[in-house]
Amino acid sequence: MAHDWQLDFEQIVDQHQSMVFSLALRMTGDRGLAEEIAQDVFLELDRNLGKIEGPEHACYWLRRVTMSRSADALRRRRVRGMDLWVDMDEAHGVRDTEKHSSPLGARLEHLLTTLPEAQRAALVLRYQEDMLPEEIAATMDAPLATVKSNLQRGLKLLRAKATSHLREYIRGL
Amino acid sequence: MDDFEQELKQALQRRPAPPSLKRKIMERRGLLSIERRHSHWLLWQRVAAGLLIVAVLGGAMQWKLHRDEERRQGEEARRQVMIALRITGHALNEVNAQLNRTHSGDE
Repeated sequence: MAHDWQLDFEQIVDQHQSMVFSLALRMTGDRGLAEEIAQDVFLELDRNLGKIEGPEHACYWLRRVTMSRSADALRRRRVRGMDLWVDMDEAHGVRDTEKHSSPLGARLEHLLTTLPEAQRAALVLRYQEDMLPEEIAATMDAPLATVKSNLQRGLKLLRAKATSHLREYIRGL
Repeated sequence: MDDFEQELKQALQRRPAPPSLKRKIMERRGLLSIERRHSHWLLWQRVAAGLLIVAVLGGAMQWKLHRDEERRQGEEARRQVMIALRITGHALNEVNAQLNRTHSGDE
């Protein structure tokens, strides 16, 4: 029985580690912290494996707990008065050109980190995880109207920042 | 979804997790499992020690009650013997007095 659970758990880690890590990374902006959060989330899943009803439930549970743990980590950092955001390029240790096909795409991820937490969370779940506003509302335990508003405002703000950034980029050429 | 949103979706593709992530998770899981087993063992040890103490105290209490009951029964038996001796003594005195009276009547 224990062996079956272990197989299931390993399978879940294999399937979802990229999702959990990416969510935590985009919410915290810190690769080391994201890795810690991902470890904690999977260990918490292991403790609650008996309550997981199936693969879809596991995915939903992981998204929900990752977002919650990331918010907790950001709150703890704020309380400690630490610098919230490490530069994404520096934190990832990879150059933008290696990851993104266009200069805009390369900067969008960085600009996302400058958005308020709730808007960032909504955008990450919408565009990284391809979730519907209703699903985001369920994951974040927030009213649907709030999620829709965060998506609209976040997108508008990100668009404005990206436009301004592109203008500067073109001026610099 | 407009071009900007498509670009954002492209930019926010999942990043691969660090290669060491799974290994670290499995290592921590193993350690936690050992700790959990150890704490279970400690719990059972404590339960066993508790049961032993309860059994010893229960046995001592039982033994004390039994000893008190024996003492009480002994006291009761002693009291009854004393009463019996007193009655016997009284009867003997009566007989003795009767004999004395009979003797003095004969003389």
